[in-house]
Amino acid sequence: MDTLTDNAGDAGPNQEAQCANRQAEIEDVLRAHPGVREAAAISDGSGGFIAFVVPDDVYVDDVLGRGAAGSSLVGKWKKIFDLSQLSRDAHSTPVGFNTEGWNSSYTRGMIPADEMREWVENSVSDILRLEPRNVCEIGCGTGMLVMRIAPHCERYLAVDLSSVVLDRLREQLRTVPDVSARVEVMESRADSLDGFDEDSFDTVVLSSVVQFFPNIAYLTKVLAKAVNMVKPGGHVYIGDVRSLPLLQAFASSVELFQAADAMSAGELRERIRRRIEREPELVLSPAYFFSLQREFSKIARVDIRPLRGRSDNEMTRYRYEAILQVGHEGGTSFDAEFQDWAECKWTLDEIRSMLRRHPNERIGIKQIPNARIEKDLAAMAILGGADAAHTAGELRRELEKQVEEGIHPQALFDLETEGLGFAVCLSWAACRADGSYDAFFVPKRLLQGMGLPAIGWPAPDASCFAHLANAPGQGKLRNDLITQLAAHCSRNLGEELEPARIVLVDAIPRTADGAVAGQELLALKLR
Amino acid sequence: MQGKAEIHEFVRELLTNSGDDQPLTDSDSLLVSGRLQSIDAVEIVVFLEEKFGIDFAQIGFDKEQIDSIDAIYALTQTVSNSN
Repeated sequence: MDTLTDNAGDAGPNQEAQCANRQAEIEDVLRAHPGVREAAAISDGSGGFIAFVVPDDVYVDDVLGRGAAGSSLVGKWKKIFDLSQLSRDAHSTPVGFNTEGWNSSYTRGMIPADEMREWVENSVSDILRLEPRNVCEIGCGTGMLVMRIAPHCERYLAVDLSSVVLDRLREQLRTVPDVSARVEVMESRADSLDGFDEDSFDTVVLSSVVQFFPNIAYLTKVLAKAVNMVKPGGHVYIGDVRSLPLLQAFASSVELFQAADAMSAGELRERIRRRIEREPELVLSPAYFFSLQREFSKIARVDIRPLRGRSDNEMTRYRYEAILQVGHEGGTSFDAEFQDWAECKWTLDEIRSMLRRHPNERIGIKQIPNARIEKDLAAMAILGGADAAHTAGELRRELEKQVEEGIHPQALFDLETEGLGFAVCLSWAACRADGSYDAFFVPKRLLQGMGLPAIGWPAPDASCFAHLANAPGQGKLRNDLITQLAAHCSRNLGEELEPARIVLVDAIPRTADGAVAGQELLALKLR
Repeated sequence: MQGKAEIHEFVRELLTNSGDDQPLTDSDSLLVSGRLQSIDAVEIVVFLEEKFGIDFAQIGFDKEQIDSIDAIYALTQTVSNSN
């Protein structure tokens, strides 16, 4: 054995133990602060420490914001929905198609009616695949889904927090007596929906509504109730969820769209940063839904899917569906090897002919580049490396030269109706920031009416669990918390132990044996 | 013009809070231009309801009504004239 290595080995454990003691001391001091739910300190590699802190949401909102941030956000959204129904046009919309307030972030105008129609019809068909009979919809609005789904159900409870919006729904229901006979309308905030027995519904729907929740603590409270209300074999469908891994790409694409040709790259980057910081809606990582599975044993499976749709808008590009399957898993589960797209570079035609050649196989492909947002990602990359004096006009011209190789998710969904005999399932569970997705093709006869095939999808990395959501309206409060924690550390720790940096995270990533995943945390610091 | 100055000050503060310190004139578009997000514009609605007794449930609401300081001022004038 090499003696040199041995000597080095002797010094190592002592130093390591000393370092571990210091980290534990920093963590203890941080945990004693009421604004801290969990803390991990790690060495920054140059003699100092970085502290990662999971803030206590209740403390941040109730103590620092005197309760204003969370409840005022819910109140403000309620006001916005009320106002949206007070316009002249709101009264003249067709039954079940009141799209007031559905504005494009790009043009700021209303999203075109044909795109809204496609969006609602795809949402409806995805929900109907879950075979709902006894539904509770939280945040039903003026009833775009109620009018289309209730006719297939025995009972439909439509809940919303805005009485003005519900008045409009009641007005519409009066015109369709056979639907209204099954619908019960209820005014309630999502987090105070109480009084329902366990297992009293087979489906709970929250479509395009969780983005108006103030934080994940509120959302988790609502989903805990939803999961409890759903009987085993049923589902909680959360639709039109805004994607956190793609927030940067979304904000970049909106700002570039709106920028005048002469705007500098420096100004553009500043606008993107500000848009993300000021984002008033809750934007969620798919990892959040997987984290729920650890908390609520009643959730058997989580499915994360990009939306269907040919239209090119912010819903199809940047939003997804999360489906929680409650209770037991139904049917067979499909384990599959996923072929890496980067290695095969299959085109749509190649995928089609492969399916023709292997009608009895199950085929998985992972990390397929997403044609819907390929341009946006290229823009982000060009902007990231651009000189501050570059202009938006120059960026656009450079962008036109980019070669696209991605596959449109809807082009794969369309294969289902080409008589190939395959069902097409897509997933965004892996939380990749490039928007790439995974696909699984399974012969239809193997599904046998199974609503939600259990597929062993590529899962999110451990590091994805540190950032589960943005913090709408809390930017200032969270900065205040960091200032408080820095002061708290300098009062209670010696100078050499004061963390060089305090970073707020949503969870501390841990390894399978429960130890802090230091490398994952360091990667977060670098991001 | 007391009312207009007050409205100007209120809107200025909303813009500053959302990180916008660009010059503000009375005719500048606030909502249609995207300078204020709807979540901030709600503050204007509440301000008008509380300070000027405007009842949007009665008069209806369109964002053009509050899109500039001039428009907001005109709105407060029509309401105080009809009272």
